[in-house]
Amino acid sequence: MKHIKTISTRDLKESMKKGGCGECQTSCQSACKTSCTVGNQTCEKVK
Amino acid sequence: MVHQYKNNGYNIVLDVNSGSIHVVDECVYDIVPVLEPILKAGLTGETAIEAACMACEKLPYSSSDMREAIEELMELHEAGKLYSPDIYEDYVIDFKKRETVVKALCLHIAHDCNLACKYCFASEGEYHGDRALMSLEVGKKALDFLVANSGNRVNLEVDFFGGEPTLNFDVVKGIVEYGRSLEAPNNKKFRFTLTTNGVLLNDDILEFANKEMSNIVLSIDGRKEINDKMRPMRGGQGTYDVIVPKFMKVAESRDQMNYYVRGTFTRNNLDFSEDVKHLADLGFKQISVEPVVAEPTDDYALQEEDLPVLFEEYDKLALDLLDRAKRGEPVNFFHFMIDLTGGPCVAKRLSGCGSGTEYLAVTPWGDLYPCHQFVGNEDFLMGNVYDGVSRSDIRDEFKGCNVYAKEKCRKCFARFYCSGGCAANSYNFHGNINDAYDLGCELMKKRVECAIMMKVALDEQNEQ
Ligand code: SF4
Ligand code: SF4
Ligand code: SF4
Repeated sequence: MKHIKTISTRDLKESMKKGGCGECQTSCQSACKTSCTVGNQTCEKVK
Repeated sequence: MVHQYKNNGYNIVLDVNSGSIHVVDECVYDIVPVLEPILKAGLTGETAIEAACMACEKLPYSSSDMREAIEELMELHEAGKLYSPDIYEDYVIDFKKRETVVKALCLHIAHDCNLACKYCFASEGEYHGDRALMSLEVGKKALDFLVANSGNRVNLEVDFFGGEPTLNFDVVKGIVEYGRSLEAPNNKKFRFTLTTNGVLLNDDILEFANKEMSNIVLSIDGRKEINDKMRPMRGGQGTYDVIVPKFMKVAESRDQMNYYVRGTFTRNNLDFSEDVKHLADLGFKQISVEPVVAEPTDDYALQEEDLPVLFEEYDKLALDLLDRAKRGEPVNFFHFMIDLTGGPCVAKRLSGCGSGTEYLAVTPWGDLYPCHQFVGNEDFLMGNVYDGVSRSDIRDEFKGCNVYAKEKCRKCFARFYCSGGCAANSYNFHGNINDAYDLGCELMKKRVECAIMMKVALDEQNEQ
């Protein structure tokens, strides 16, 4: 494409098919914990 | 839903519901909002292109450029990478309804602390109650409870938290030892984490932590004057000089991985990017510095009027971190880390932090709370490690917590990166767990924008 560059990302819609196993870590956002944005968490399935 | 913004010279178009990210020229950037209603109205092919061209007439681009841009956008739309609808609500609500197991415990090893941090939500470690240390017996019971309630899940997380856990370190050691003895017979694996202010760190603790802790969290706020103002000893002396050499040793001994230094910024250091830089200049590679959560009446609480300054700080920080990456000295800043290609599935992204269901906090005497932030608030006392969860109504309330249960989050572009925020923050500011802490949201959104911009910039750099 001439006007648009698309960055590669995990297709969220596709992730419904194999997702939702609940195997990954819990994700706290509180300032006093090991917090991070959920977008950074590791999926135990694509690892 | 589309979120578009400009940052650091990039025009970024985020297709929120598919997670696609596009970097576009000015012409496309201006057409994106114009084309959406046309496609939503059901127009397709040449009819849509013509309608869009008409609607764009006033834009300052050549008609051939605009036509090309429109065609490219329509191609993305057809590929499911633009103007994607939100189709996840039922799916996520079903996901939240599933039988959950407990995966993680936060053990309050000591409700006591050797520091007197001004912003401590635990009132200097005491959590509005009396000082107390967890006994080994309670700690063992907590692990038994976790194993018994974790179903088939193999990996279990246990965080040694406080107050200050090193004040009761023999019990930490005993709990770890007991945990290891449970692993093989139950087919479980414990991942232990230690959170410490560092004052009592010594070689003995470090050796043990490096052997047994998969992560270690070291609290420091950044520059000496900032750290010492908010994190003094009980007698008022600063802690910076005591902890910095120890933390550097920890970082090196763990090969700069599986640890991090983390700090809190307040109204006293709105220029917190300087604190992150300071920590990076000291040689730390894993850094997290985050906004304080405080009562609006506290003098160090962040105020809405501080937002423009804070946004600018995040921008500055992003540029500095990009620079470090370009120099081959990358630093991980936790709040800018987004894994675009791996990253969690949609269910995980929209279903919240797990407090009250998969994650529970345990007090020194064995009481269970939805998470460390609720400890001490009797309304949220869920049970104890001896008898398990007795207040299933509290668990069910937290179970219902997800992005779609929150009006603000449903409309928020950052929801796939934020997961709906912190239930405790929501409770503190609005008296219920299904709202959002607005100032925190503004900062979260800004961080997501910066993080995506950094990915775009690094991507460009790799191509060159
Ligand atoms: S409610 Fe907030 S503090 Fe508690 S676990 Fe969730 S994100 Fe963390
Ligand atoms: S491990 Fe991956 S697929 Fe499973 S719930 Fe977590 S993010 Fe989703
Ligand atoms: S930033 Fe705020 S509104 Fe947006 S998803 Fe997070 S908590 Fe919800």
